[in-house]
Amino acid sequence: MKYETQKIAYNYFLIATLLFGLQVVFGLITGAKYVWDHDPLINILPFNVSREIHINLLVVWLLFGFMGGTYYLVPEESETEIYSPGLANFQLVLFALIGVTAIVGYIFRWSWGMPFLEQPTILKIGIVIVALIFLFNILMTMLKTRKWTVIQGVLLGGLVMLALLFLFGIFFMKNLTEQYYYWWWVIHLWVEGAWELVTGAIMAFVLLKLTGVERELVEKWLYVETGLVLFTGIVGTGHHYYWIGTPHYWLWVGGIFSALEPLPILFMVIDTLRDVREKKIEIENKTAVYWAIGCAVMHFFGAGVWGFAHTLPQINKWTHGTQITASHGHFAFFGAYAMLNLTVIYFAVPRIKGVKLVRNGLSLMALRTMTFSMILIALSLAVAGIVQVYLQRVLGMDYLTVQGFMKLWYAVFWASAWGFAIGAFMYIVDFFRLSSTTSARAQQ
Amino acid sequence: MKLSHAKAIFIWGTVLSSVIFLALTYDSQRSFSKRTHEEKLDEHVAAGKWVWQKYNCNDCHTILGIGGYYAPDVTKVMSYRDADWVRRFLKDPPAVWPAERKMPVLNLKDQEIEDVIAFLTWVNGIDTNNWPPKPLAVASAAAPNPGEEIFKTQGCSACHTVGGIGGKIGPDLTHVGSRRSKEWIEEQLINPKSHDPNSIMPSFAKLPEKDREELADYLSGLK
Repeated sequence: MKYETQKIAYNYFLIATLLFGLQVVFGLITGAKYVWDHDPLINILPFNVSREIHINLLVVWLLFGFMGGTYYLVPEESETEIYSPGLANFQLVLFALIGVTAIVGYIFRWSWGMPFLEQPTILKIGIVIVALIFLFNILMTMLKTRKWTVIQGVLLGGLVMLALLFLFGIFFMKNLTEQYYYWWWVIHLWVEGAWELVTGAIMAFVLLKLTGVERELVEKWLYVETGLVLFTGIVGTGHHYYWIGTPHYWLWVGGIFSALEPLPILFMVIDTLRDVREKKIEIENKTAVYWAIGCAVMHFFGAGVWGFAHTLPQINKWTHGTQITASHGHFAFFGAYAMLNLTVIYFAVPRIKGVKLVRNGLSLMALRTMTFSMILIALSLAVAGIVQVYLQRVLGMDYLTVQGFMKLWYAVFWASAWGFAIGAFMYIVDFFRLSSTTSARAQQ
Repeated sequence: MKLSHAKAIFIWGTVLSSVIFLALTYDSQRSFSKRTHEEKLDEHVAAGKWVWQKYNCNDCHTILGIGGYYAPDVTKVMSYRDADWVRRFLKDPPAVWPAERKMPVLNLKDQEIEDVIAFLTWVNGIDTNNWPPKPLAVASAAAPNPGEEIFKTQGCSACHTVGGIGGKIGPDLTHVGSRRSKEWIEEQLINPKSHDPNSIMPSFAKLPEKDREELADYLSGLK
């Protein structure tokens, strides 16, 4: 760590870690409702409430991680301290308060009722304020020295895109088709657009620092990868416009562009592996490198392969709205974003704490356990989804009857989710251990 | 490849994709009115959409295939359930569909129920490019028995099993035709308590006589 204000990132990572743990707890509760149809919590915490908490925590902890990563990265790239540490801390507290209010509100049935965007409007306005404070602080920092590296440019572009697109999810529209058309501008263009820019820039920074490869090489690839992500991903939004009341040509346009979406992700895998192979300095923090490689590979399989599997309209016609989507959702979010955050945390926290992290056994155990369990989660939900598609969509059996036939796979899914929870617990323990480690102990 | 080439890929890739996307968005936006029958989108439909959001229905049910996967998709629900059934169901879901996986009682006001039915009726008319697809098994089969259709739309399988599929609250009807006559079944539909004073089955006297007759015809044929 070169700049004092990079420490701000730590509190963001801390909250991200706590919310990640809470997300897993709500995931277990939500999953149990599939395994046992009889729900003792039906009047206190019914499925819709536990699901909205589970998916909101996901988004919020990922955003906390991205913000932390940004606060760590920008001082080093701009070669200056953060413009206002006070604002950065205020932003953290405000965002955390909004998050807690939203979750408590959900339990008391205070919801806006669009998936992922369930936050009541007043809280959404608060989120916009948080985003504006964040953007202001980052932009002012960058303007102090005006060192426009490609990493900084892509990062800033991603953050602006992220904030602007959120505006499309705030307004109530009478027409459900129109509402969902713009809802995807937040959901899809975040995860397959803005977030890819933000995390692409953060990952490029981490690899640059870890491997010591030439900056120009890293930045060239960053341009190509994020350029292709946007080229395929923006029109690729069309793979959500097949069946929601939108014109038929989206089947063609969405199908072709989204089928190309795995390509830049494949480049990222090649790029990461090459950086590590052609390293210019001896990599000390092997833990962070393992997480980075894991992230690239799981990103490719979860988002790329699993997404491609049902993106063509001929297949999507049958799989849309089934557990196939849930399988892809879990796999992709974990590979592309959860692992990215954990990579950044394992890269930045030791530096913030002045600890030399070499090879951390518990962290790698957490990496293996979570990755293996997530693959099982994705596979079991995929099998449940195939059973569902065949019995419900092809044979025309009744929804609930089919759910009965999917029970076994829900049980495998839930058992795998416990495996994942154990992995997540190992990570959380390790995070706190790392936070309180002295340099001497870390050397062992 | 030089950095400037990579930058050009980034800029032109983004610009090209954005231009295509915005042009198609403009065209899609113009098509919504016709494809979604906006002339039928009145204040009840809009109020019903808010009821749908307010009770966060979408985190259990999918609509247009989007949402939670815990409960059935409701995009075309008004094609296979009549409004009266939906009204009874929304008032007390577990009573009308007594399965293990339950929808909670939401204590909806009568007006809210009417609005949400108006909303779902409007959604049913959206041109979804033929989604959800017709099941292949049904599409290739001969025209279904009209009585069997009524059995489905009235949700009889919530309580009764036929051929291994259905609920266990009422008797298994797989071979009901071998023990009950058509007339007996018609009487049962009008007044279930006529055969068993303790019966918990609701009366289907509200069905048109023709529908009752076809339903009884179908059931008495299950031998």
